[in-house]
Amino acid sequence: MDTIEASVDQPRGVRFQLNGQTLLLTLFLTMVAFLILTPLFLLLLNSFQVAKPGEPVVYGMEGWRLALTSRGIREAITNSFSLAITRQLIATVAGIFLAWLLARTDIPLKRFLEFMFWLSFFLPALPVTLGWILLLDPKYGLLNQLLMNIGLVSQAPFDVYSYWGIIWVHLTTTGFSIKVMLLTPAFRNLDAALEESSRVAGAGPLKTLFRVIVPVMMPAILVATILGVIRSLEAFEIELILGVPIGLHVFSTKIHSFVTHEPPQFPPATALGTLFLLVLVILVVLQRLYLGKKVFTTVTGRGFSSRPTPLGRWRIPICIAVLTLALGITVLPTIFLVIGTFMKLFGFFNIQDPWTLENWRQVLKDPILFRSIKNTLILGFSAACVGVILSSLIAYVIVKTKYAGRGFLDFISWLPFSIPGILLGMALLWTFLLVHRFIPLHGTMYALVLAMAISGLSLSVQVVRSFLMQLGDELEEASRISGASWLYTYRRILFPLLLPCIIVVGLLEFISAARNISTVVLLATGQTRTMSLLMLDFTAGAELERATVVAVMIVAMVVIAALVARFLGGKFDIKA
Amino acid sequence: MAEKALVLRHITKWFGRVKAVDDLSLDIESGQLFTLLGPSGCGKTTTLRMIAGLERPDAGEILLKGQPIVSVSRRIFVPPEKRKMGMVFQSYAIWPHMTVFKNVAYPLELRKVSSSVIKEKVDKVLSLVGLEGLGDRPAPNLSGGQQQRVALARALVYEPEILLLDEPLSNLDAKLREQMRLELKLLQRKLGITVIYVTHDQLEALSMSDQVVVLNQGKIEQQGKPRDLYEQPQTPFVRDFLGKTVVLRGVARAVEGQRLRVELTHAGGVMVECPCHSPDSLSAGQKVYVSVRPEDVVVTEAGYASGDNYLKGTVETVLFAGERTECQIKVGEESILVYVPRSQVMDPGQSVSFQLPREAVNVWPA
Repeated sequence: MDTIEASVDQPRGVRFQLNGQTLLLTLFLTMVAFLILTPLFLLLLNSFQVAKPGEPVVYGMEGWRLALTSRGIREAITNSFSLAITRQLIATVAGIFLAWLLARTDIPLKRFLEFMFWLSFFLPALPVTLGWILLLDPKYGLLNQLLMNIGLVSQAPFDVYSYWGIIWVHLTTTGFSIKVMLLTPAFRNLDAALEESSRVAGAGPLKTLFRVIVPVMMPAILVATILGVIRSLEAFEIELILGVPIGLHVFSTKIHSFVTHEPPQFPPATALGTLFLLVLVILVVLQRLYLGKKVFTTVTGRGFSSRPTPLGRWRIPICIAVLTLALGITVLPTIFLVIGTFMKLFGFFNIQDPWTLENWRQVLKDPILFRSIKNTLILGFSAACVGVILSSLIAYVIVKTKYAGRGFLDFISWLPFSIPGILLGMALLWTFLLVHRFIPLHGTMYALVLAMAISGLSLSVQVVRSFLMQLGDELEEASRISGASWLYTYRRILFPLLLPCIIVVGLLEFISAARNISTVVLLATGQTRTMSLLMLDFTAGAELERATVVAVMIVAMVVIAALVARFLGGKFDIKA
Repeated sequence: MAEKALVLRHITKWFGRVKAVDDLSLDIESGQLFTLLGPSGCGKTTTLRMIAGLERPDAGEILLKGQPIVSVSRRIFVPPEKRKMGMVFQSYAIWPHMTVFKNVAYPLELRKVSSSVIKEKVDKVLSLVGLEGLGDRPAPNLSGGQQQRVALARALVYEPEILLLDEPLSNLDAKLREQMRLELKLLQRKLGITVIYVTHDQLEALSMSDQVVVLNQGKIEQQGKPRDLYEQPQTPFVRDFLGKTVVLRGVARAVEGQRLRVELTHAGGVMVECPCHSPDSLSAGQKVYVSVRPEDVVVTEAGYASGDNYLKGTVETVLFAGERTECQIKVGEESILVYVPRSQVMDPGQSVSFQLPREAVNVWPA
């Protein structure tokens, strides 16, 4: 019984215990890696492959040559960057002001305003674009007409089909909302003492904002801006509707045009895609490494905001201005979208008897609509289920286990964030075509579900992960010490506590699936078309009246889901 | 001889390149309140978690009543759920989605105990910790002190033989802490349970424990009864960690059996006679330190007496600290911290005599 061993003098390396748990986790890791990396790898590989899918493989640089020398490529790439950077800069400056106003001043209606900005994030891009077209079309846009009729201007001042039109629509859908959502909590957590010492020293509120608050919050601001640039580079549907008609391409629309060409030109599409993927991955990696992940969770401690900065006599005017903006980006386009559904000819207010219910009747009668509603619901719920299971497992492994491969798992779960929807769609398309003989996925709903599950992975893992980190190991450990096995602990402790978070993640995945266009546009067929794609088809086919009807339905679906998610998230204190 | 409740043999734990626990061996008797005391990072919580099975040692073994629950060389590891110990975490770890009753009943439910027996046991343990009637309260509605009692109840309800407490009082306010110190001690006595207690607070350690082991950087500094550690610290670390100490510089002049005469070189050359527990380790002419507790110093009127162990000095600062007065008294080049009872009035600038009682003084090699 008296086994006394020599004490260990050297540190052991990472302990690799070959047991059931490690094996299972490694299997899981391989599966996830396979899921995410295979399409990307195939994309890269096939940019060097010049034959069509199905034909014997021929390698060459033809794809790259075409991609880089094709007409308009250089402009498309420049446009992508220029649009992204410009709108991010505008959004950031506006975001700083808005976040400061909402978080640190005594502006009235704070909660309502914040809610409206939050809501604007969920409004799908295409429906909102349609609404803005009604207002800002150069020929018959209502706002233009109004201004011309009053006599302020002699010709239409606003043209939504333009560089600035694209920027404006982007700003109103995600630009302002994301900045407000990211920066407001960070501003709120700022130690009030920093501000107050500046005021005591004699600086007014604006000076304090620029000389104290902004520099202190710079890491958060930078991260938000870079994230925004990354996301902006992926933009697709707005540019498709507003840019392509005037010959303004971005890289995503160029890829789309290559693939939808008759016959499809895969080599240049994959080459272009690979090029952009490289740029994006580098940006994402840089952002992660350099700026770190904890920038938004500024710990508060006791330095909580005691007194909001008073705005004095500017209080009401500023509130009205922000209110106008908030309503202008949410209610305004939505109202006009709804109005648009009742128009005989989209945008033409001046014709005789412009109103009709016919659009609604026609669309509701069409069996295509019900099929696409069904597809949307199937896609939404399936993507939600798959996404929830996958992301909660991944998040659990990353946060709660000591598995050696969890760093790698963390990294791959971030990758989908840097992959533009259109690229993911194309990569998966290629993959499905390749394996079609063995696994017939092409043209099925499974293809779409897989695509949405992968694309939503990054955000879902993040949400579950931050929730799990708040939970604390001791809750599980207390259960183990009391005598419970891991499974019993999971059933009675972890799962009930995770449930609200899981529901929110499921809803977010549902919303994402319901309104997605760029990821599924290359993968869907006539049978598997979702409502968003139906709407796109109507728009492309100049049947704008029907497009608006479908658009209104999508908006309704998405907004309801978003409100439910917010209600639950607020109740259980979940931060996305 | 009865089996020791818990034995640790040569336990070592690495975290990366840091040795958190270094060749630690402990014997814990049944029915004791055994405390692991030390500053943060000394390895006390890691040791507790290894006892619980929440961490695995890199070397050594732990025996529960003679049976190994972990042995690195023999590749034995009993998982935490099979060790039959109770544990209270520093954060209490009360499950927020359950009521008080459900939290406490959890260990019994998973052991498939019948619900009537569960009700009986839970009610009994709730009244034991002073929470009777609160069974239906949802966990998030509890105060810190109540949460702690629920954690305690949950750990005790399945009558474990060993109770592990990880800094259970550190998140409570001062008054509650005082109250809980007493309650915990009484509870332990009443149940006769072996308690392993981890804390950085020396007051808790000294007032509650039967045995204290002081840890520093993963190693044992000293183990013993609280009073022994306080009055006869064997290392400078223990001396300085437990209570306040006055340290004076000196040179050993004569060694006479168990007694040592030291000249206080910086306090005017006064001779001090000290007990010496290891006379062989010190020789005449060697530089030493003389230590004494501030509360052991006896302050008298100026010019009262003279001779060995009597010093004269001037009061520099006087701080009224409620139950006592803390003074700094200057003697030669040394500034000595002295505690005097409230009844004794001291003024800055006053000349005083004071005595370092022979039995209260300790000698240390310099």
